[in-house]
Amino acid sequence: MVLWVDGERIVDAEPHIGYLHRGSEKLCEGELYPQIITLFDRMDYLANYNMELAFCSAVEKIMGITVPERAEYIRVILCELNRISSHMLFYGTMGLDAGAMTPIMYGFRERERIQNLFEAVSGARMMHNYFRIGGLREDPPEDFAERVSGILPALAKGIEEGDKLLTYNEVFLARSRDVGAISGQDALDYGLSGPSLRASGIPDDIRVTEPYSAYDRFDFDIPVGNNGDTWDRYAMRVEEMRQSIRIIEQALEQMPDDGPTKATGVRGIPRPPEGEVYIRVETPRGEMGVYLVSDGGDKPYRLKVRPPSFANLQALRPMLRGVYVADAVMILGSLDIVLGEVDR
Amino acid sequence: MLSTLKGMLMTLKTSLRKPVTAQYPKQHLPMMERQVGFPALTWDADVGEPYCVGCMVCVRMCPTQCMSGTMIDNPLHAEGKSTRRKIIEEFEINLGRCILCGLCVEVCNFDAIEMSHEHEISHFARNGRRSNLPVLLEMGKKYQAESNWISPAVKKAAIAAAKAAAAPAAAAEETKEETGEDK
Amino acid sequence: MILLIPLALVVAALLSIVVLAIGYGGEGVFTILVKSLSMLTILSVVVLSLTWVERKALARIQQRMGPMRVGPYGLLQPIADGLKLLIKEDIMPSWVDRPIYWLAPLVVFVPSFIVWLVVPFSSDLVLRDMDLGLLYVLAMSTLSIIGLIMAGWGSANKYGIIGGLRSAAQLISYEIPLIIIAISIAMMAGTLNLSDIATGQGNTWYVLLQPLALVIFLLAGLAEVGRSPFDIFQAESEVVGGPFIEYSGAHWSIFFLGEYINTFLVAALLTIFFLGGWSGPLLPELAWFLIKCYSVILVMFWLRGTMPRLRIDQLMALGWQGLVPLSFLNFLMVAFAMFYEWPDWVQSVLSLTMLIAASSFLYMKMASKKVRPTVRLISAREVRRA
Repeated sequence: MVLWVDGERIVDAEPHIGYLHRGSEKLCEGELYPQIITLFDRMDYLANYNMELAFCSAVEKIMGITVPERAEYIRVILCELNRISSHMLFYGTMGLDAGAMTPIMYGFRERERIQNLFEAVSGARMMHNYFRIGGLREDPPEDFAERVSGILPALAKGIEEGDKLLTYNEVFLARSRDVGAISGQDALDYGLSGPSLRASGIPDDIRVTEPYSAYDRFDFDIPVGNNGDTWDRYAMRVEEMRQSIRIIEQALEQMPDDGPTKATGVRGIPRPPEGEVYIRVETPRGEMGVYLVSDGGDKPYRLKVRPPSFANLQALRPMLRGVYVADAVMILGSLDIVLGEVDR
Repeated sequence: MLSTLKGMLMTLKTSLRKPVTAQYPKQHLPMMERQVGFPALTWDADVGEPYCVGCMVCVRMCPTQCMSGTMIDNPLHAEGKSTRRKIIEEFEINLGRCILCGLCVEVCNFDAIEMSHEHEISHFARNGRRSNLPVLLEMGKKYQAESNWISPAVKKAAIAAAKAAAAPAAAAEETKEETGEDK
Repeated sequence: MILLIPLALVVAALLSIVVLAIGYGGEGVFTILVKSLSMLTILSVVVLSLTWVERKALARIQQRMGPMRVGPYGLLQPIADGLKLLIKEDIMPSWVDRPIYWLAPLVVFVPSFIVWLVVPFSSDLVLRDMDLGLLYVLAMSTLSIIGLIMAGWGSANKYGIIGGLRSAAQLISYEIPLIIIAISIAMMAGTLNLSDIATGQGNTWYVLLQPLALVIFLLAGLAEVGRSPFDIFQAESEVVGGPFIEYSGAHWSIFFLGEYINTFLVAALLTIFFLGGWSGPLLPELAWFLIKCYSVILVMFWLRGTMPRLRIDQLMALGWQGLVPLSFLNFLMVAFAMFYEWPDWVQSVLSLTMLIAASSFLYMKMASKKVRPTVRLISAREVRRA
């Protein structure tokens, strides 16, 4: 990021991106559909399941496949767990940007619990490659429900502890309150989405406004902020973690005990019919869009990804005008940017 | 100052808990059953040859194109000891390029390749992790031994046989019920 | 240069000899030499142990183990760190102002070392029992500020200069509450001699009489040393290391040594002023002194693990608008108490009230339930209906 400063105040800012560009969208044009799932894992590497869900939903929509019930619920549970783990990392790095060195250790301790569960389910802690077009790669292990309900109390306790340590700490409040505020209308104009948009007072959550997968069957709350400053963006995510736990509990209750986890009629390598589709998904960073153009073959003709962090970065400039240099670190941290998806 | 004091009390409470560290390499965390390590080729101990026949489906499926191999006529088949007409001759996986996605395991029709639990493969040479057939078979044998591996085809056949054995018994029970009701 | 550390130590030893020799009252040169070298050794051992204690304490707060591999429970870790720093290549950029760059670590380290000549460890363990001990301590600790400015300027690096000047501003502003509290204590004790201040407390330690002064002294001491939550001038995410940015290897290790010696000095002064020095039952006096010092140091590490750091303008605001008026009020209160000869409990009640008032004021302004920012929760059903 290049900053123009006048003494201690920032006059203008310009983020320089592109250092992590790996050509994912072009690679997708040369890979079969099951292979593309591995690419999507690695784009937003903190919310792997959400990215896989976005891609699989796009192909399922264009092919008209219905995913079986049990697979839907398991997908939702895994996506919400991924949301908690991504926000835990955000909590830790926010503390580190502010100067406290304990929150990041607590955050990673909670992430370990979730990643152990992921390892038991899909085999890998991060790049899972578990969702398939039409369902899941294989059944989760038999003790899946027990494992998930086993870690939920520990996660809730971890969230409370983190809250007590950092959220209302006087020094943290002094560092983050009224710093980098952006109004609701400005946020909409700049294309912000996700928790950063809700912090400015706009209750827009894709899981509620355009429900996908099984999200229309759950009852949860959407946190909305008042000022749109750094503290609000931080508190959104802490509250979202609690709401995710609510969703997981409801999903565990409603999940059918047995049933197929792969849709019938999807064999081998899928060949979607000609057409195009745009799918929206709520990742922990915001609105993730997948635009898929198929020409009937086994590889996509064009696959465009609309990453939330790329659009959120645009809003960095108005937020940074007039603040101190030391605040720039806090503001950038509060936007929760993952460069893997900014640069793809 | 109250919030700060609450925070300090919480760190104090945490300092009295047991640390969560597992001191690697003296202490290894338990391995999950499904944990993916690098791919390894399985060995058919009954016949004395690898399961892999060299069909190259995995090589074509690999997203990073890290595998290569050659196929030859199976000498054991000519002697009548094996049902596999072709067998793998040379196989190489560049383990440094493998992204551990598991797609090769999914598409293999012969249960010849499995994701082992091997994950500690640091090497001094730059491309030193290009593994050839004997190395992969060693990894495979180790994985088969430690996980009591049964080929998935054998497992499926066993489930089907159990269902078939249960079917006549279920049919017998139904006729019994009917005759019972008739009475 | 690997020669810098022995050079620094020799200079420090020589200066201390000079100070001891002033008022040469029947002590041979040999005893002076032995005393100063033993002080040097003791301080080095203390600093090494402090680095180990810090890493272990922070690790336990974060629910992990600290160093465990080097020696049993990582006890040899400080030695490994020291060796690593000594054998590291000393990179000196070609555009630095050589004399200033070279001398800066010495100017920071030597005053922090020679302060220790008057600090008593127990009633008979003091190198030089000066009557003006407190004045000497405060004067010498102010000298190291020049060293930081020299370090920043000599590095000829934008961030170094900014960091150096910021650190000078921070240290100078926090000297004032420190000195005023020290004066209040000296007034109560009636002497500037450190050993007499410690023994003059008797059974009523000054912390019982003036808890507010303890808190102000702790905060000002933390800011003097440059520890969290006041470490903005050396934080890596802010000014990339501040005045120390161009230093590596042996030069840097001297700054490092100086910082830990200062930490121990603040803890020792706090013990002497407020916690009764070395008084205590059963154990020998030196043991009590060290126990109290290390408890204070553990509190400092505890604060480091918990709090985020303050921004530079908030730091200065806290210093000038918070600690300076409070320390003046404390001073006035002590003066009144001594002049009108109020009993002791009046002092402690007044001091406690002021402490509670100050912290409640801060809490009310920032984080109390009425003022704290909140998050609204909107049910998903409502949004779906709309």
